[in-house]
Amino acid sequence: MRQVDLVPDTRANSSPDWGALMAAAQGGDASAYRRLLGQIQPWLRRYYARRLPPSMVDDAVQDLMLVVHEKRHTYDPARPFEPWLAAIARYKWIDRLRAMKAAPTHTLDEDIAVADHEASVTSAYMLEKLLDLLKPPQALVIRLVKLQGFSIEEAASRSGQTASLVKVNIHRGLSRLGALVRSRSDVG
Amino acid sequence: MSDEPLIDRLAHELTPVSRRTALGDALVIGGIGLVELLLFLVLGGTRPDMPEAMGHAGFWWKLVSLGSIALTSCAVALLSLDPVRSPRRGLRLVLALVLLCLAAGWPIGAVLDGWPSLLNRLDWRSGVQCVFKMVLLSIPPVLGLGVLVQRGAPTDRNGTAWIAGLAAASWGAFVFVFACPIDDPLYIAVWYLVGCGAVSLLTRLALPLLTRW
Repeated sequence: MRQVDLVPDTRANSSPDWGALMAAAQGGDASAYRRLLGQIQPWLRRYYARRLPPSMVDDAVQDLMLVVHEKRHTYDPARPFEPWLAAIARYKWIDRLRAMKAAPTHTLDEDIAVADHEASVTSAYMLEKLLDLLKPPQALVIRLVKLQGFSIEEAASRSGQTASLVKVNIHRGLSRLGALVRSRSDVG
Repeated sequence: MSDEPLIDRLAHELTPVSRRTALGDALVIGGIGLVELLLFLVLGGTRPDMPEAMGHAGFWWKLVSLGSIALTSCAVALLSLDPVRSPRRGLRLVLALVLLCLAAGWPIGAVLDGWPSLLNRLDWRSGVQCVFKMVLLSIPPVLGLGVLVQRGAPTDRNGTAWIAGLAAASWGAFVFVFACPIDDPLYIAVWYLVGCGAVSLLTRLALPLLTRW
């Protein structure tokens, strides 16, 4: 196993005495504790980033900070803090690997259950075919008003027809569509 | 994801803690063991021929053997509650000690003269009773060690569970030595191993589940 990062290298930090901070935290010094957690967090992030999938790193870091909090009474200030932290981080890492093994991921089935859109697609296709059989001004205003939801006035300005002509074309077009549907058992 | 809210919360919830030390834990488990032993002796659990038994080498052999195994394994178990310490070397040491104790008992009285004699010496009815009593006497130290394991931070849960089970089992057997009327090393080797093995195995199976952290 690589030795890199097995034990935090506190020489790289501006405030290296994590042991003293933890000793103060054991006595109830909240500001020392806040500093300690803030300083160990980047190391923990690097530690887990090298050992876990990226999606699990945040959870692992937060979990470890909770464990450090819960087990802080087991740290002996007479001994270095870094091996204590590294041992706990390694333990939780192995625990996480065991959990991953116990809950294996499943490959997605090719036949994913999704809603069947066949009827909608068929209806849209048939409607388009029927609209193609109408006169273009009738088909245009039916698309604008009945399918796209524009008002009569908006459809009139977009189609260049008067409002009353839009109403007439819609009425005639729908009547023609009804007649087409009744007369043909299969369109297209 | 920012960890600042969590850090703030943990710092806000911070309270002073009393540090865990191996010596403090030793005093706790030692107290439990001592109280159990004293209660056992005071309540009349000792064998009726105790003065005579104290003249036999077999009595002292099992007393010293089980006492040394109990003390050693308890020390290893307590040290393994520190996250930076593994109990594996200690387990090997205790295993060697068990073998050494068995070897020391051999010249004391394990002279075999055929299978019928062997079966008589094993005396399975008494053996089963001994195992049952040893298991009962192991319960207080198992519970005590379980609480200490929960409070500690063992990073080798299975190893710690094995050694804690062995410590409790050998202490239970040590206390039972004062009641057991049989000093035959062969009987002791077989039935005490069965009793201690059962307690160790049960502890190994249960403790990691109950003391997960």
